[in-house]
Amino acid sequence: MAGTFLGYERENGDVGVRNWVGVVSIMDNANPITRAICNAVQGTLPITTLFVRGQYGRDLEITFNTIAGMARNPNIASVVLIGLESQATEEIARRIRPSGKRIESVIVQSMDGGTIGAVADGTRKAARLAIAASHLRRRPFPASALRIGVECGGSDTTSGLSCNPAIGRMSDRLVADGGTIIISETSEFFGAEHLFAERAANPEVRQKFLDRVTGLEREAMSIGMDIRGTNPTPDNILGGLTTIEEKALGAMAKSGTSKLVGVLDYGDAPLGRGLHFLAAPAPAVENMTAMAAAGCQMIFFGTGVGNPIGNMVAPTAKVSGNINTLRKMPENIDYDVTDILEKGASVAPIGDKLYEFALAVASGTRTTSEVLDQRETAISRFGATI
Amino acid sequence: MSRAIVLNIADNVATLIDSGRAAEPCRLQGEATQTLTITSDIPFGHKVCVRDLAAGAEVLKYGQVIGRASRAIRAGEHVHTHNVEAARGRGDQSGGPK
Repeated sequence: MAGTFLGYERENGDVGVRNWVGVVSIMDNANPITRAICNAVQGTLPITTLFVRGQYGRDLEITFNTIAGMARNPNIASVVLIGLESQATEEIARRIRPSGKRIESVIVQSMDGGTIGAVADGTRKAARLAIAASHLRRRPFPASALRIGVECGGSDTTSGLSCNPAIGRMSDRLVADGGTIIISETSEFFGAEHLFAERAANPEVRQKFLDRVTGLEREAMSIGMDIRGTNPTPDNILGGLTTIEEKALGAMAKSGTSKLVGVLDYGDAPLGRGLHFLAAPAPAVENMTAMAAAGCQMIFFGTGVGNPIGNMVAPTAKVSGNINTLRKMPENIDYDVTDILEKGASVAPIGDKLYEFALAVASGTRTTSEVLDQRETAISRFGATI
Repeated sequence: MSRAIVLNIADNVATLIDSGRAAEPCRLQGEATQTLTITSDIPFGHKVCVRDLAAGAEVLKYGQVIGRASRAIRAGEHVHTHNVEAARGRGDQSGGPK
């Protein structure tokens, strides 16, 4: 029987797993105002950023698309944009409008009262939107409405043997139910790309995927760098991962076994359902930011030695099969799959239960990174600031 | 006695799921079942060599190449960055990627 969950229906038919008012900084200079409003109003979520002012070209375009993508995420009921000036604010607003969400703006330079006035105006607008959002009720939806990002971080050799294969089973179940999985972290396909490319639905998708991987490797090598020590990271190496190839083979397990139907770049969202690859830098915060901008309502995050960080917009659940990590930081792990290594349990039934847990999180069960507020946003940079 | 998992019959390394002590036996499970003697302490999650490897030999895990032996490695030895080199992303070594 296909999975179902209790979600919030949005104007455009998307379904949220949370129901926040997003308070969105248009530039880094608006972050203090954004945070002050969120501190004052329950039910809001700060979507902050760094830079933006002085960015240009493709780099700026990706940043605008990413900020707007987070605001369009189905978990966001409505938004308050906090901008210094109106032009950049409008660049973001016009990218959010197609979602049909209510958009309010606070333009610091266009009003009296400076930051005090901006916080007061934003607080008033956010409070009204928060009450309006609370009128919405969860109701049942098929799992096909879900888009889940699959991530790994603080990886060690247990990741490729336990949590990532369990997440892979969950991914297969969601894709079988008509939903969408997004796997990313381009450099973490170095040494495994030949296996993943075989799963492409057609030659065009295959080539697009391979171009992203070889393009990144060529870029890294063009500056004469040895990536060892950067990826795998020092904690990966302490955890027993020796090479990027070994890490990649374990990381790829998160994608399960379904066909790769689409390839996305940073700031893009999928047009269809099924398994997608998102080309984005591997570090968790900037990677998950791209997943949230791609419309993922949740992220399932495999960890070995432990990396507690989650995404702001997409509730992030930590899955670990490392018994030492479960003992050391149990409050930072949402789902324990240690039976795989400790008891020799098979992956499939554990992955099936993990899928049930994913549907519970989609229905409102909170994750450790939400409850402990281990959440951060960072948009990758693809050019210099001028 | 420690335990180590062999993921593919072609693999020449196994992953420890306990800490291994020098001179103590390690039981392989998964796609191989032999017991071998560990020649140095090996931390939880690290790899042990299960078949003698010549310098330059491909190191196999998941049935796939994860790097090359940078020197000869004997069965029972700890396999890690001190005796295995990655082949990918090595801008320090070549004029460009493949």
